[in-house]
This record gives sequence, C-alpha cells and structure tokens, in this order.
Amino acid sequence: MSQEINLRVWLKIPDAEAATVKNTLVRRMGFADLLADVKKERLFSIKVDSGDLQELAGAFARELVNENKESHKVLIDELKFEEGYVPVKVALKIEDGEAISTKERLRSRLGFKNVVDVKKATIWKLYISGMDPELRAKEIAEGLLINPHKDTYEILGK
Amino acid sequence: MKIAVMQFPGTNCEHETLVAVKAVGMDGEIFRWNRSAGELSSFDGYFIPGGFSYQDRVRAGAIASKEPVMEALREEAARGKPIIGICNGFQILVEAGLLPGTGKIDMALAQNVMVSKGQIVRRGYYCDWINLRHEAPSRRCSGSFLIEKGALMRIPIAHGEGNLVTTTPGMMQKLNDEAQVVFRYCDKNGRVINEFPVNVNGSTESIAGICNPEGNVLGMMPHPERSFFAWQLPAFDPKKQRPDEPGPGRRVFESMKHYIEVSA
Repeated sequence: MSQEINLRVWLKIPDAEAATVKNTLVRRMGFADLLADVKKERLFSIKVDSGDLQELAGAFARELVNENKESHKVLIDELKFEEGYVPVKVALKIEDGEAISTKERLRSRLGFKNVVDVKKATIWKLYISGMDPELRAKEIAEGLLINPHKDTYEILGK
Repeated sequence: MKIAVMQFPGTNCEHETLVAVKAVGMDGEIFRWNRSAGELSSFDGYFIPGGFSYQDRVRAGAIASKEPVMEALREEAARGKPIIGICNGFQILVEAGLLPGTGKIDMALAQNVMVSKGQIVRRGYYCDWINLRHEAPSRRCSGSFLIEKGALMRIPIAHGEGNLVTTTPGMMQKLNDEAQVVFRYCDKNGRVINEFPVNVNGSTESIAGICNPEGNVLGMMPHPERSFFAWQLPAFDPKKQRPDEPGPGRRVFESMKHYIEVSA
C-alpha cells in the first residue's frame, strides 16, 4: 500500500508571479475591495510504496527545494492549510510533463525506486474578506487562475 | 494606413514586426500597453507580436489578456479591423476570447508535448524551422488574404506553449467546417503528419493558426516576421543566397495590407 508525502514549497524572496496575479485581480478584475493578498506555493505529492516516510521526505526536500530562496513544509498522508486564506489548488488536466520528469529524476537518476507516482500543483492562497470567500475564490480561479481546457482547480478545505 | 504593433511587458518581437509592417508600405508604430486604450481606434490594423508578456506568469497570455487595451482591441475587431497575433500574440488572443471568436475561452495553447510512434519524445520549449500548409481559401482571412489554399511556407517557430487543445464539444468540427483553420504544420512536401517532428508541439490536428468566423482576426504560432526577408532563411535554404528576394513570411504582412485596402 502506498503512502503520500506532500511537500509544500514557497519562496522566501518576493514572489513576482503572485504579485502580478494580485495586481491583475485588484486593478483589472474588480477585486480591490475584497482581496487583501495573494500568495503562492508549489505542491509536490509523492507516492511511495516503502521506506521511512520522514527520512524520504527530507531527502526529497533536499532535491526539490532550493533552500537559498525557498522554504517548505512536509505533510504525510494529509494536506492541511492555515487559517486566513482560501487555498485553491490548480493542476494540469492534460499530461504534466514536469511531474513526469520529477518522477523520472527521483526514480532513475537519484535511485528512489520506492517512488510510484509524483503529482505537481500550484496552491494559490487567496486572502479574501467579505461574504462567501469560497465563492469569490471560485470566481478568481475561473476568471484568471485556470484555462478550463487544460487546467483543473479545487478549493481546498482547512 | 496605420498599424499598431502592440507591446506588453515582455514582448520581444515588436521591432522586427514593425520593420515588416513598414517594408510592405504600411505606416506603423509600437503601441505600449499602458497608453490610453482609446487611441487604438485611430489605427487601421493591429499586430500582437511574440515574446513572453508578463513573463508568462500564470500561463502564457493570461495576464496581458486582462489589460484595457485588449478590451479596446475587442471593439476594433468587432468593427472588422484586422488583428494578427503571432506566437505569444496568438496566446493572448485565445485568453482574451478573440479566438476562436466566441467571446469566451474556448481553447488553450497548452504546454508542448512532442509525440512520435506513440511515445512522448520531448516536452516544453522548442525552436526550429518548420513547414506550414495554408489550409483556408485565399481571401478567407486577413493575414493570409493573398495566400493560395495549399501553399507551403517555411517559417520558424519558438515557443513552449503552442499545443492547441479544446474540450468544447464540436469545436474542432466547427473550425474545420467553417475554414477557420488557416495553417497546419506539414512536411516539406505538404503532407500533414500528426506526430513529431512534423507536428512540432502536439497541437490537435497539427493546427498552427486559426482565424475567427469573420476572418479578420488571425492567430498563428510561427513567426512570419522572422522569415520576412530571404536573408533570414536558414543556411540550408537555397533562397538564402538571393538576399534581395522576399521571404515567405512577407505574404502575411502583404495580406493584411491588401485586406485593409479592399475593406476600406
């Protein structure tokens, strides 16, 4: 039976892409009164079929996280987020070449033969005020964060 | 005849495009994204050149498509004025809902996935000289107005997200039935082979360019401004030795000029 290591990775330095998304939502898409901030994380969900999970998570983080500019958090068989924002998970619904390459890199080049699957996604953390923030997050996802012909999204619970 | 060559932060082909516009006898200027959008109405046609607008943040073309100048271009398109989006310009037009022209996002130019013999052989950014076959009848589309159906063109591509996909039911049928497919990738003999390296990016039905139902808006992934002069052609092309001759990309710019003349 496989278990899942979730690696949440975010920039310690300013995230220009998140700033651009916030600017566009505020200045071009009418969210000025509702949106306080936008942050972004990368999410690697790595399934393994054996091994010490904490040890593996540390090893994966050393390969996938650049500690000079990024921080990370490991979650085993769960995916939880902090209070204060709506987390929106965006992933490709067409083939994700980067996830496939990451799996190949971990298995073939770095020798982690216990890796059975790798999925990659972007987590947009939307700091929304006012009524029904999840509905607003849905509008933001469909209005900017995804192209429905290639992406899927999911509004994640806490 | 005045043409606006649009420039967003990250556009990188505006100068070559402007040279091509002027070389076929049109007037033109670079129009920055932060100028008053209302000024666009004084132009007769528009190019959205290639590059990486807003560093492809979120996805290629997504941020630029929200700029006020795009709303103004939507109005000019509705008036029948020609708009040609090249590479990132095509991506912006798709994200703005101007192509395929239903007013909403009806397709994506997704990450390249190169397939050969059922295997993925490559992914991501790719640049090369490719062959195009003109699929639409001449006079169907502003950017290929003077190009005969079936004509072949050698033009370069350079992109990471040109893989046309759609989940809209019936969209591919509509594009084909209504002659909105303007260019397909083909081999040097004009055969469309739906796998790499002829289909350079995995695009559905090897589509390289489409127009809107009215034909005035064209989006194409290849770069005609980079094969405008024969001297720009690759070393293996014998036409390169005849530098005074026009390159194949020139026909796209001449087409827009002629389209404006007959539409006036």
